[in-house]
Amino acid sequence: MIGTGYLLITALVWATIIALSWGLSKYLKKVYKNEKTFLDKLLNPFENVIYRILGIDRDKGMDWKEYFLSLFMFSVFTVAISFIVLTFQGMLPLNPMKFHGMSWSLAFNTAMSISSNTNLQHYNGGSTLSYLGQMVGIQFLQFTSAASGIAVAVAIFRGFAGKRGGDRNLGNFYTDMVRTMTRVLLPLTLLLSLILIGLGVPQSLSGYSLVRTLSGSFELIKVGPVSSLVSIMQLGTNGGGYYGANSAYPFQNPNPLTNYIELGAMMLIPTSMLFLFGLMLDKKGEGRTILIASYGLYAIDLAIALIPNTGLGPGMETRFGGFSPVLYTVTTTAFTTGSVNTALAAMHPLVILAAFLGMMIQATPGGAGVGAMYMLMYVMITVFIVGLMAGRTPEYLGAKISAKDVELAIVAFLSHPIIILVPTVLAYALGAVHAIGLGNGPVGFTEILYEYTSAAANNGSDFLGSSGNTVFFNVSTGIVMWAGRFIPILIMLAISGRMYDKKRSPEVALRTDDLIFPAILIFSIIILAVLTFFPFLAVGPILMHLEGIGNAL
Amino acid sequence: MKGRKLISGTLRLALIFAVICGVVYPVVVTGIGQALFPYQANGDLAQLGNATVGSYLIGQSVNNSPYLFHVRNDSASGVDPDITVASALAQALVIHNTTNISIAYLDGLIHNNTQYSMFFFGTAFVNALSLNIQIIDHFHNSIAVYAKIYNMLNDH
Repeated sequence: MIGTGYLLITALVWATIIALSWGLSKYLKKVYKNEKTFLDKLLNPFENVIYRILGIDRDKGMDWKEYFLSLFMFSVFTVAISFIVLTFQGMLPLNPMKFHGMSWSLAFNTAMSISSNTNLQHYNGGSTLSYLGQMVGIQFLQFTSAASGIAVAVAIFRGFAGKRGGDRNLGNFYTDMVRTMTRVLLPLTLLLSLILIGLGVPQSLSGYSLVRTLSGSFELIKVGPVSSLVSIMQLGTNGGGYYGANSAYPFQNPNPLTNYIELGAMMLIPTSMLFLFGLMLDKKGEGRTILIASYGLYAIDLAIALIPNTGLGPGMETRFGGFSPVLYTVTTTAFTTGSVNTALAAMHPLVILAAFLGMMIQATPGGAGVGAMYMLMYVMITVFIVGLMAGRTPEYLGAKISAKDVELAIVAFLSHPIIILVPTVLAYALGAVHAIGLGNGPVGFTEILYEYTSAAANNGSDFLGSSGNTVFFNVSTGIVMWAGRFIPILIMLAISGRMYDKKRSPEVALRTDDLIFPAILIFSIIILAVLTFFPFLAVGPILMHLEGIGNAL
Repeated sequence: MKGRKLISGTLRLALIFAVICGVVYPVVVTGIGQALFPYQANGDLAQLGNATVGSYLIGQSVNNSPYLFHVRNDSASGVDPDITVASALAQALVIHNTTNISIAYLDGLIHNNTQYSMFFFGTAFVNALSLNIQIIDHFHNSIAVYAKIYNMLNDH
């Protein structure tokens, strides 16, 4: 049994984040409803310059197709910029360590990974990336992918709110992106960066220094712009660390306090988005419903992970003890962030099982923006199932849900297992698994299934690390990460566009803002996830557990 | 025409963000961080006498020396700077046997440097480099092995 002290700390983190998120969501509503905020005086002139350079009509409402196309083209360009910087960093400035450029397949994988908010890392940043590579190759994409996830969610909320929400269609992609960046992400990351520096995370551009240690040997002190990267990678649920060992590396996460601040940071925006849904609809109860469902699933995940209750062991960091790595691993997959403060191979199979559940559901509460989007996908499916059982036309928010809407939601849902399971099978069939020294047993299978689940869920935690740096894994996971990002976004924007046009009736057939609906929602999500993924989990982590394999180490 | 506008608008947005988020933001954070917290921003560098001998955050191997505290080499980062208090107390016995430094001194040193993984409970740990530097600093005038390390790092 886990000690009460640990549960109290967990409860304290949850309570703090939920309270802060409530406050932040009220501010976010003002930002996306274009209402006055305290930052206007400071930021308006600055934003006006950006709009002038962009040369766009910032008030123009976009339909779902235009919103998606703008997002997609923008993402392609961000990948191109990052790819060029990563490939040619050897010839570019801010490279005091004289690192060479990445291979094409690794640069492709990295740019696809960070731009899709996945941050699967087949590279070891601390020993291969120049400062410019970290800043423009990685950090820039961590900002844009977080901002685009938030913008998409806001656009979808506007569609669900419908015409009486008062917005012109789904909103304007450019305005949403600019305001997310200047009014949300940059102020929050600036504040968090400075707090983390004060607590010991380095922030320097003066190059690695060589020192002589007590034993007389030489050691490189790998300092760089670490804090500025860690703050966006956590707040933006990116998860791609400055170092290969991610937040287990002491410079990235030096002590228990930074550990809990970094943990809370990744929960903040996804939780705020759930409240924001209710605020933008002017129906707080609907926001509460998806909040309860998300955190209910997160609690179930955590309960599974805490069953084994193992202590500090190999593959873990002393300063975090045995409990924090479990909480961190569950949270980083529940919020699809993907940063880790331990070696995953050190985690008990039941912790890995909980991690899988978070990544397979993607809404527990999921990543910045997209987590809320996935939850709405499950709501559509659940409303339909409940409608079938009650024998009446399904409705949500006063709008009739047609067969086409449900079909679309189911296609979005099914795209997830397809892009996980097909490449997993291919990786075995084409010999790519054996090529990196993994076998056919449950341990090897768990690691490969985890790789594609993490890629498809845009999570980014992994077992493979730089051993995944082969052309097969770089290219296949690169494609899976973008499919996992843009297929569901495309479909959910389409559903949202359809919702926007629907007539709303004031009478309510099925209440979705009470305390019963969230319970039904949790139940239906678990059934959907279990039916889809159980056979694969059975031959992976569950078999490991039954065979008595404590962990992969 | 519509396609061209889409391309020029999204490309410009990408370039503007590359400059703001990729260059301006990290440079500004570096400037403020270096001004407010120079010690932390440069990696918590550890001094012995006048020499910089590492970072308190990065564990260093001491080649099985029986005079110093050893870090773990099986952690996630490979450079875990901390050891559990239980491990430190066991290692203190070895150091006591080779140097004659009193157990009371070593235990007191460990006690004064103890931190906890959950702030006030959980795994009790100490920073091994910090212990080693304090011992060498305190005994380099009286114990030959520590004088040797001190002089190696401080003589130029």
